[in-house]
Amino acid sequence: MADCRKIFSTFACLSVVFFLLVVDSPALGVKKKEEDDEEFEWVTNEQRNFPYPSQNALGDKVQQLMEWSSKRPVIRMNGDKFRQYVRAAPRNYSVILMLTALQPQRQCTVCRQANDEFQIVANSWRYSPSFSNKLFFASVDYDEGADVFSTLKLNSAPSFMHFPGKGKPKKGDTFDIQRTGFAAESIAKWINERTDVHIRVFRPPNYSGSIALGLLFTLIGGLLYLRRNNLEFLYNKTSWGIGALCIVFAMTSGQMWNHIRGPPYAHKNPQTGQVHYIHGSSQAQFIAETHIVILLHAAVTFGMVLLHETAVSKGDVGKRRIVTLVGLGIVAFFFSLLLSIFKSKYHGYPYSFLIK
Amino acid sequence: MSTAVRGKLPWPLKMSYDKQDTLLKLFVLSIAAVLSFSTRLFSVLRFESVIHEFDPYFNYRTTRFLTEEGFYSFHNWFDDRAWYPLGRIIGGTIYPGLMVTSATLYHVLHFFNITIDIRNVCVFLAPLFSSLTTLVTYHLTKELKDVSSGLVAAAMIAAVPGYISRSVAGSYDNEGIAIFCMLLTYLLWIKAVKTGSLFWGAMCALAYFYMVSSWGGYVFLINLIPLHVLALMATGRFSHRIYVAYSAVYSLGTLLSMQISFVGFQPVQSSEHMAALGVFGLCQIHSFIDYLRAKLSKEYFEILFRTMALFVGTAVTGVGAVLMASGKIAPWTGRFYSLLDPSYAKNNIPIIASVSEHQPTTWSSFYFDLQMLVFMFPVGLYYCFCRLTDANIFIVIYGITSIYFAGVMVRLMLVLAPVMCILSGIGVSGILSTYMKNLDISKVQKKTKKTENYPIKNEVASVVIMMMSLFLITYTFHCTWVTSEAYSSPSIVLSARGGDGSRIIFDDFREAYYWLRHNTPEDAKVMSWWDYGYQITAMANRTILVDNNTWNNTHISRVGQAMASSEEHAYEIMRELDVNYVLVIFGGLTGYSSDDINKFLWMVRIGGSTEKGEHIKEHDYYTPAGEFRVDREGSPTLLNCLMYKMCYYRFGSVYTEGGKPTGYDRVRNAEIGNKDFELDVLEEAYTTEHWLVRIYKVKDLENRGI
Repeated sequence: MADCRKIFSTFACLSVVFFLLVVDSPALGVKKKEEDDEEFEWVTNEQRNFPYPSQNALGDKVQQLMEWSSKRPVIRMNGDKFRQYVRAAPRNYSVILMLTALQPQRQCTVCRQANDEFQIVANSWRYSPSFSNKLFFASVDYDEGADVFSTLKLNSAPSFMHFPGKGKPKKGDTFDIQRTGFAAESIAKWINERTDVHIRVFRPPNYSGSIALGLLFTLIGGLLYLRRNNLEFLYNKTSWGIGALCIVFAMTSGQMWNHIRGPPYAHKNPQTGQVHYIHGSSQAQFIAETHIVILLHAAVTFGMVLLHETAVSKGDVGKRRIVTLVGLGIVAFFFSLLLSIFKSKYHGYPYSFLIK
Repeated sequence: MSTAVRGKLPWPLKMSYDKQDTLLKLFVLSIAAVLSFSTRLFSVLRFESVIHEFDPYFNYRTTRFLTEEGFYSFHNWFDDRAWYPLGRIIGGTIYPGLMVTSATLYHVLHFFNITIDIRNVCVFLAPLFSSLTTLVTYHLTKELKDVSSGLVAAAMIAAVPGYISRSVAGSYDNEGIAIFCMLLTYLLWIKAVKTGSLFWGAMCALAYFYMVSSWGGYVFLINLIPLHVLALMATGRFSHRIYVAYSAVYSLGTLLSMQISFVGFQPVQSSEHMAALGVFGLCQIHSFIDYLRAKLSKEYFEILFRTMALFVGTAVTGVGAVLMASGKIAPWTGRFYSLLDPSYAKNNIPIIASVSEHQPTTWSSFYFDLQMLVFMFPVGLYYCFCRLTDANIFIVIYGITSIYFAGVMVRLMLVLAPVMCILSGIGVSGILSTYMKNLDISKVQKKTKKTENYPIKNEVASVVIMMMSLFLITYTFHCTWVTSEAYSSPSIVLSARGGDGSRIIFDDFREAYYWLRHNTPEDAKVMSWWDYGYQITAMANRTILVDNNTWNNTHISRVGQAMASSEEHAYEIMRELDVNYVLVIFGGLTGYSSDDINKFLWMVRIGGSTEKGEHIKEHDYYTPAGEFRVDREGSPTLLNCLMYKMCYYRFGSVYTEGGKPTGYDRVRNAEIGNKDFELDVLEEAYTTEHWLVRIYKVKDLENRGI
């Protein structure tokens, strides 16, 4: 995913450069439009006396925003920038603001998904033929601008807000994620309702699956080609057996859950600084936890196999005895460890063994 | 042992060793079967013989129809009691295996003048089939490894929670018999592979037919068997036995499965079944090549093989390219990726992400449902890999694929549980039988053998055996605890602990449904939220507007709009839909949290999702701060909507908890905001003992005023 996004953005950048070369500098166009708006809205007596600073302030702001958004379709803001460019009065452009919490320690998977969709909308706008300085996309991360959240009286993320060119945001200017979801298409529809700017959402085609598949096939093909004289290794039971055991351990320790849900590696308590590796509830788990469990499962299984192997092998008697006892110890110890971890997750579970 | 010695022994030991062996096996197996039946009876003993939850009520109703009306009218059944005024075709849209099984059982019992109620047949069907499953598991494991593994596996599957979760008494659902059918098909398939006889192949096809008729999960089976054949081909184990077995199973099984009207032509059209067809073709090609190789000399065969391979290869690529270019087949679509990457479905198909049964599985729920099987399973896998046979390869493939699916989706634990038991049975019995040999039972042998073994062999063996027994005992305790705590509540009869620790039973649902049955006209239409649709049709025998088979979103949305609107507006909708009675579930008095007020936001969302419900906006039901509150600060739209009024009618004058004012809602922990109101278009018809269910009658239009 990340790779293909990179490819897409480089491609997009190149096309932008080309676009800039063909069309004359957009800054000029911007200024013209501003002047029209200025006269319409901001002509007061005071400003007649000092027309230039105000006009320049707006012009500078727009230019600055254009510059930022040409670098990055979604402008990242902190509290100061937010107040200056989104909140402060001389403004003739709409801003779609995403308030989010993307830092890994916030554990907001929804924010990440919403961010992806938002980026798609912003990119579609940035590289659409009707791109203008009337609409900007910006985002504020909670960890960079907590004050923005408090001024907007928000206590949840992600949320999307529209700041119209004139006046303050009204009721409909907050995007209703609960009802409509945050798919790029519905965001674009909402933007269209609020600003009359039509954005055709263009999703970058996802080639990562095909690329991965192609890579896998070439890898296997290459391996087979290299070993073409001796294909015996394909019939090697041991490697197949190890492969099968790996799949089993991966699944029983919940790697698939991790893959789909994307939990954090471990949890650090912000007050005490203590790191928890085991999630306290049975509904969730940390990545570290699955690693611990995978080890425990493998250890118990290994102990069992050890017990069997020594019993049927024909080796030195004393050594066999020791190995058997070691196997026994491994099985008993790791099983009770597993049980105690499980007990800590399932409150009210009545059984334990050796370890409390 | 001489006859003189044998004369002194108690009677079981008087028999020959073979007979003793058989007796012991029978004894173990029958105990396992009885155990698997009785461990599923917690809910019957605690409550009574009732059907659980929601879907089983639909199955129960259709079964009752089948036994009363016969198969043909069942097959052509158009149900006008559900989805009023649309109705639903039932005969052609369900898997009939479950209903036919219980109806047959019912008729057989009645033929012998055992007069058992059809409801009891339905309640006890799943436990009965799980005890049959233990027997099938024994035979399957016996075919795969040996008798002792079979016994251990049978004992394990009798109590494994992953399977109990779907087969307790009263949980009358397809999965209850489907696992039996699945294992039976596997057993007969292994028999067919081992013997290569057409008889076992045909039997396997029959079992497959039974499986298809009872559960949609048969798709797993029809892909697993071809995969096994493919693996056998790849490992060079393909033979005439497998050719006969697979050809018989595939051709007969496909023809039979097409007889189920819900399946229809899918086996030859849909992509899920194409793997089986492909492997069938591959089988023919493989055996044709074998035939040619036997008839031709080596050089000629080489030439022929190369030209044929080249020709076929180009032809296939050409046809594929043409079809792909013309858009007839599209192999690189989402479905393909969703097989490779399970998170694809989550990201791109929201309905899958939203349903709780489609959640992935954490390690703790693996442990919760399987306990020691989680780590004995790899041990069994290890044993299988040590000595691979045709049959072992099958169980390995079954294990790996099902563990993958169980990891992706928590409800597929059901498919994993049997193979876990089989492989763990192999593992446990491997360890036990190895060390049992080392255990010296008679003192006489000890002295003679001691010289050639290591000194404390007997002691080590005892410790190992003791530990294994301890593991098995913890397994039993764990399984019983899980079954009793987590999987044995019927959810139609509720229970709670009273202040003095005694059990209080809330039987309000049935009270209300029977009230409807006996006190309303036969053609009355009852409006409720869709969760209770199946139960109302089954128990109250009244026509309902929407039920758990949520196939028509606009209709559900219309009901949601009625619930979310004000009284006048709701009255229009109810008149339009011909509603006579409205039923709501209210938990405020008892503290039952999954009631209609807590589900209300879904009604608003679904109600507002269609064109007719555009006036319903979710944020109207929140306070300005974005909270959902029922107290004085709640939004006025909420406090005056139909659902609110129906739930809290007369509630404002009731004391619920000591020290709290009247009208204190125990679920939301708030004093309700709109206490003193009267209903204009409805009148209260019935409220159950604990106020869990409240039924209102829709008033007729008023007489024309003067």
